[in-house]
Amino acid sequence: MGKVTVAMQWLEACAGCEMSFLDIDERIVELLKHVELSSTPITDLKHPPQSGVDVGILSGGIGNEEEEEEAKLMRSRCKTLIAMGDCAVTGGICTMRNFFSKEEVLRRGYIETESTVDGEIPQHEDLTPLTDKVVGVGDVVPVDVFLPGCPPSADAIWFVLTELLAGRTPKLEGKVLKYGMDG
Amino acid sequence: MSEVHLKINGKDVVAQSGQTILEAAMTADIDIPVLCYHPALSTWGACRMCLVEVKGMRGLQSSCTTPVAEGMEVQTDTPDAVEVRKFVLELLFSERNHYCMFCQMSGNCELQDAAYRYGLDHFTYPRPYEKLAVDASRKYFIMDQNRCILCSRCIRACAEIAANHTLNLRGRGAESMVMADLNVPFGESTCVECGTCLQVCPTGALIDAHSAYGGREKDVTHVQTTCMQCSVGCTLDVVTRYSRLLRVDGVWDSDPNGGLLCVDGRFAPLYDNRKRLTKPLVRKDGKLVEVSWDEALETTAGKLKAGHVEGLALCATTNEALAAFAQLLAKAGGKAGTLEPVAPTLGYGTAAAVSDILDADFIIVAGAQPLDYQRVIGYFVHRAADKGATVAVIGEGENKLSERATMTVSYADAAKVAEAAAGAKKVVLVYSVGIKPKAITALKPLADKLFYLALSPARNGAGARAAGLKPLSPNGAATQFVLLGEQAEDEGLAAKLQAAFTIVQASYQSPLVEQADVVLPSPIWCEQTGHVTNLEGKVFPLHPALAKPEMVRDEAEVLVKLAKML
Repeated sequence: MGKVTVAMQWLEACAGCEMSFLDIDERIVELLKHVELSSTPITDLKHPPQSGVDVGILSGGIGNEEEEEEAKLMRSRCKTLIAMGDCAVTGGICTMRNFFSKEEVLRRGYIETESTVDGEIPQHEDLTPLTDKVVGVGDVVPVDVFLPGCPPSADAIWFVLTELLAGRTPKLEGKVLKYGMDG
Repeated sequence: MSEVHLKINGKDVVAQSGQTILEAAMTADIDIPVLCYHPALSTWGACRMCLVEVKGMRGLQSSCTTPVAEGMEVQTDTPDAVEVRKFVLELLFSERNHYCMFCQMSGNCELQDAAYRYGLDHFTYPRPYEKLAVDASRKYFIMDQNRCILCSRCIRACAEIAANHTLNLRGRGAESMVMADLNVPFGESTCVECGTCLQVCPTGALIDAHSAYGGREKDVTHVQTTCMQCSVGCTLDVVTRYSRLLRVDGVWDSDPNGGLLCVDGRFAPLYDNRKRLTKPLVRKDGKLVEVSWDEALETTAGKLKAGHVEGLALCATTNEALAAFAQLLAKAGGKAGTLEPVAPTLGYGTAAAVSDILDADFIIVAGAQPLDYQRVIGYFVHRAADKGATVAVIGEGENKLSERATMTVSYADAAKVAEAAAGAKKVVLVYSVGIKPKAITALKPLADKLFYLALSPARNGAGARAAGLKPLSPNGAATQFVLLGEQAEDEGLAAKLQAAFTIVQASYQSPLVEQADVVLPSPIWCEQTGHVTNLEGKVFPLHPALAKPEMVRDEAEVLVKLAKML
């Protein structure tokens, strides 16, 4: 049997989940015996290959149109989609902006912040527009495995991956099911 | 009460009639999840977490409100019950802001625990992102409606335990909000900041400003001790992390207060910002300078040996220290006494326990202001009034208890109270130094059924009495030894004490300390070891929650040592 192919992408994220992934430490050697990492945010290949992957992992919430597209692309190219971390699961910390309008958020961020002088809201065709609300991945595309935590512990990430490798759908409970930083 | 036999999850359980299914399950160690239920409060049946299946009954029953019955067969974890609980949780999480990642209760939250238990790994329903009010108008704790699950524990705690009735619910359905009085900011409401609501809140809706984000349950240490802020002697659960005081909680079912605390016991001591005394000081060339304990003790002993000494204690300290103080002054040949006055003895009636207030049908408050000075006693009187007891206030000037009292009379009319109480079964008289002899005489006809509670101003006045210390006016001895402890001295005390030589044993900087010739640093309430005697005459232990600063010594130990040096 060939290796299981995995693609990763981060959306509105802080890379804390990826740090936690690296915290599986030497188990990564064991993991790479069975898994081939294709695209990740830190490899040359940025998007999952057209031929598709077995497992897609998304971290971060969805707060702009580009992130929506990334989520849809990953969904269309993977068999099993994991929403990794509280932001991917629920929208996370960026949902704090959901209590305000997009316009208010941009004005506050680019013009009204105390350290800003003569600020303006950047506008360019290359800049992706914000969505009205920040949402979790599951609000945009169907998700197969939710892995909450801020970040999920290395053990929780390891548990999910090894369960998938064993051909089972991971059922998070006990100490691998945690929200926020309750670890 | 008779025995009732039932089966829960196939296990034979013997319950008492009148118990609920939940109570029966708890005694049988069968765990049913709850959110709105709290053992110290009346049952509400609102959250639907404790639903169980009862054979022969249609639908699911809330186990916290359904009484047990003979032969009942209960199943707590049927697929239906589990599905409903999960559904309830999904709805709760979809409604307000239950993001654990930026909540100070994460790791310490009953809602979170329930979600873990039922394996919730994401929000099932879209969230409305309503921006609800955060009320930080009170100094000590904050109400965040966004985290509230409307379990009403706070409302019940306010009504049933503190008997203050500040909190209520406004609105309907998803728009229901906990409010204070008729929807005013909490800081402008009738709230007395006893913090009972804070202690029962299952989520992060009520936030303690001092301990928020300071440590989760797994990080903290709990030490039970006795409150030293007044003579009631409430049991405290002092929560610390490393050497930091985080929070004080009440201890349910503890004596004498049953978990209810007041602002002076729960919050105020954590915000004490007086300058702490941490080293012994001796006046040299007109200035107080740091010295070794040996030098401070020798200087003190030298002065005590010279005679013409008097000892004055503010009784905010342990029984052991007060006894050692009395012995030291006796050995030095000086008089010793307390600076606080003592409530007079009645000469009739029976000494009451604090809990007697709750089963009295007539309560007389004479010359005492418990709502200001022994607040828990005031709240107990309110609780008794809620249960239907008549409350009569005797005294001059305003008394906050009058608002909920049936009658308020002057001392001249004290006999009217005795008349009104003539038909009562159990009378509790709460009094203090303000009581007038004519009131004592007027109430004497009630002697046979009268239980009294004397609220002396001294925190450990009973300990002082046991040590043989009585109120003493400063007499201008050559040397005055003042046992001040951690208590803030009354204004003018320093001016009254103008001995040629003054020794002060105290925890904090104060005017008296500034004019002292020797200063011996004392521990504070959360560092004390020993015992205190409360107004009921019961002895309660003190356990240190924090270590004393290095150069601070136990008061009793210092006093015993000094006595040996004489």
